[in-house]
Amino acid sequence: MVLVDDGAMILRLGGGLEFLCQLDVSDASQRQLEVSRSFADLRSRVKAESLVFSLTDSALFIWPNKSFQASLDDVDESTACGELLQSEDDDGGGKKKKKDKKSPVVNLRFMMEITEPTEPSAPCLYRENKKHHCIRMVLPMDCVVTVRSDETFGSSCKRLLRALSTQLSEMEAVTLRHMKDTDVPVPRPFHFSLPTSTELVTIVYPASVDDKGLESFRKELHNRFELPDDRPYFRRSNAFHFPDEPYKTREQNYHHYMQDRMDDNGWGCAYRSLQTICSWFRQQGYMERTVPTHKEIQQALVDVGDKPAAFVGSRQWIGSIEVQAVLSHLLGVTSKILFVSQGSELPSQGRELANHFLTEGTPVMIGGGVLAHTILGVAWSETSGKIRFLILDPHYTGGEDLQTITDKGWCGWKGPEFWDQNAYYNLCLPQRPKAI
Amino acid sequence: MGRTYVADDTVQKYLSSLHTAGGVCITGLLIGQLSLQRDYVLLSTKTPHRDSDGPGEGHSSSGLLDDADLEWATEHAKQVSQMLPGGMSVLGVFLIVPPELSKEAPSTLRRLVFAIEKHISKGRLWDLTEEDITERVTLQICSKTKKALCRSFDIKDPKSSAKPADWKYQPVSSSSWPLVTCTVALDLQISLPLKSLDDICIKEGLRSWANRIKAAVCLINGKLVADESELVPGQKKNPKMGKQKFQVQVLLQTLEDMGSSAVTQCCRSFISIRGAVHCRAYLQPNKPRAKHAVEAIRKDLMNTVSCRVNMLMEDLLMNEFNDQGVMTGVQPLPHRVFVALPASDFRLCDYVFPDESIADVAERLHEMLDSRVTEESIDSSLEPTHAKTPMSSRTADPIQHSRASKQHIEAPKDIKKSNMQQYYTGDFYIPLLIYIYIYIYIYINRTVVI
Repeated sequence: MVLVDDGAMILRLGGGLEFLCQLDVSDASQRQLEVSRSFADLRSRVKAESLVFSLTDSALFIWPNKSFQASLDDVDESTACGELLQSEDDDGGGKKKKKDKKSPVVNLRFMMEITEPTEPSAPCLYRENKKHHCIRMVLPMDCVVTVRSDETFGSSCKRLLRALSTQLSEMEAVTLRHMKDTDVPVPRPFHFSLPTSTELVTIVYPASVDDKGLESFRKELHNRFELPDDRPYFRRSNAFHFPDEPYKTREQNYHHYMQDRMDDNGWGCAYRSLQTICSWFRQQGYMERTVPTHKEIQQALVDVGDKPAAFVGSRQWIGSIEVQAVLSHLLGVTSKILFVSQGSELPSQGRELANHFLTEGTPVMIGGGVLAHTILGVAWSETSGKIRFLILDPHYTGGEDLQTITDKGWCGWKGPEFWDQNAYYNLCLPQRPKAI
Repeated sequence: MGRTYVADDTVQKYLSSLHTAGGVCITGLLIGQLSLQRDYVLLSTKTPHRDSDGPGEGHSSSGLLDDADLEWATEHAKQVSQMLPGGMSVLGVFLIVPPELSKEAPSTLRRLVFAIEKHISKGRLWDLTEEDITERVTLQICSKTKKALCRSFDIKDPKSSAKPADWKYQPVSSSSWPLVTCTVALDLQISLPLKSLDDICIKEGLRSWANRIKAAVCLINGKLVADESELVPGQKKNPKMGKQKFQVQVLLQTLEDMGSSAVTQCCRSFISIRGAVHCRAYLQPNKPRAKHAVEAIRKDLMNTVSCRVNMLMEDLLMNEFNDQGVMTGVQPLPHRVFVALPASDFRLCDYVFPDESIADVAERLHEMLDSRVTEESIDSSLEPTHAKTPMSSRTADPIQHSRASKQHIEAPKDIKKSNMQQYYTGDFYIPLLIYIYIYIYIYINRTVVI
């Protein structure tokens, strides 16, 4: 895990650098050289005096390559990084924004100054009439350094500049490795927090290659960072989530009755639970296809021979066994089945469930009586035996209003009395695949 | 509530010095700065003489201005607007009419002011926004009584009618007008795809560069200043502060994400525009705000680049027309020189090709702005210069070339006229000399015979 302990903060530098390259139409061997030349040109640009760092939402601009010229008088090379958090609030308007003071991420963007050129030359127009392939892309630079809050801004900027240069070299390597003829993927950086490192690790991936295609690269990374082979650390969905970023995707989507114009009120609860589980696998990067619809789920069961062809389009319920089968067929995910003969016995499964959430972390589908639910978590005390279940109830038929959903308890913690004490329950516990 | 136009005393002097002969009208431009409170008219210049083969000048049976006159006047306005630094623009037109033609004057003025605005805004890299003032002034002066009638039109609304406006003369001290400058390094890369047209691609390339300029962050004297804050706080307390100078720094924002693959295009040609250009803008002295300074410099930057590129393109097109082939390699863009008009601190500018001289600039200024400047007052040091290019690399005819940037926009009759002059020079005098020689020969022989 990345530890942002007291006194540490993250400086993040971002921005888009324009990459422009002219490739020869006929001579393919020169293409790699041309690409390298364009990257070398960009590396020298980030060393130029015209590079400017700007602190987002503030009036602070720094010229890190020009003896640290700054636009605010009270900031210079020796300013401590911790003071920058104050600068971010003060944008001249005097209004203090409601800022999460615990959030130790300082966002900087780089810009290019086009005024005050160091070696001005007379304006000219240069024209070359040669057939060529013009490659144009925006490199999404994203560099991160972890600094102590008492570290000087000057030295952190130097580190950011080095990181920028290094990232360009890594982008060059990725581009050369994955470009095919004139098809050039955009190299995109991702940051990962690893158990074996206190700092964030930045890896550049070609944007047009999916996770599957990068498996061998991930194996190399697992070796390099001495990480176990059974669970993913370097998939795109494993990327570190910065505290100040909005969540791009929720942990899993809440699937419930009447969603997507599917009227499954009264019969579709297990389907919805299955959809919730699928969305979890998708968010975690294990599944790239979309969450299956009711029909697709039914078709999958027909395909494995579990149900007759007439099943598709019907309003028949499914149970945890069917959920296990669909997960296996559509996602390649195996699941464990737990059985309790009476609802009152569920608390005794506390240890098993707690273990499941600790090791696998996948949502659990529970079906019994005439209802199915999704268990997202469990709070279990080994000493007292007290247990509470975090339930996502697919029987909700309302609109997508989070307030109602949480207030009315459609997603919430429930005690053991929630279950039908006499009914028997089957639980489907999907196992996280052992893959990277 | 009409607009107020404050005109400098020099404008009054100039307008009263213009005399019309007979039933002839004089058109001309009013130049200055628009601002929210009032507009300042700093300079006026009459439309230069258009050589026409017809009997009269500027007066035809179909109204005060025929189409050729109108085209001439609008072209003059465009040429003049390219000579203005940031913050200054062509505010409107004046028309000196004899009393018998004064009835047609308002409609003529209306035609003129709309046509000029349309022509000036062609090829501009920026569009008028809500913030811009769209009123333009028309001044109708009776040649006999010297009485002036001032009206304004909203050029944003083609159906707008004339609104009365105030016109008053007042000395406008140019020394108190803040000056904003910067030197910008250009770096435009334009690819020309197969099956594309040169000028469309170049226009596109300039437009996307202009969009980046519009989105850029501008610092004033090294600091980020809020749009609405005053540039010179408390100026009224200290009127003798001298000229306030502001240096602008332009910072380009980084580009937005493009997706997962690079854009690949098969192209036939590549154009790169590089070099340093000097930008300059003047701000009216009444509480100018930071946003005015930034807007004025931005517009000046966009204008100077588009103007120069267009001038070069037209010049190259002329050369291609004369069988020089499509130009490749390095082509110098015209160089910007600045000159202060007599009795004023404001500097106007002009563009000089490498093989033109300062004398050419002085001559152009005289023609366009009806103003005599000395060659010494022309400052060409604000931008880095090219080495002089040899004549042979340009068109064969030096006379034709030194006016190249202007010649193609003059009425075609002028080109024909200069050709005719050549005809006179070459082929007229030689036969004459031969005749004289023969005559002398006969005379001498006759004498001898006798």
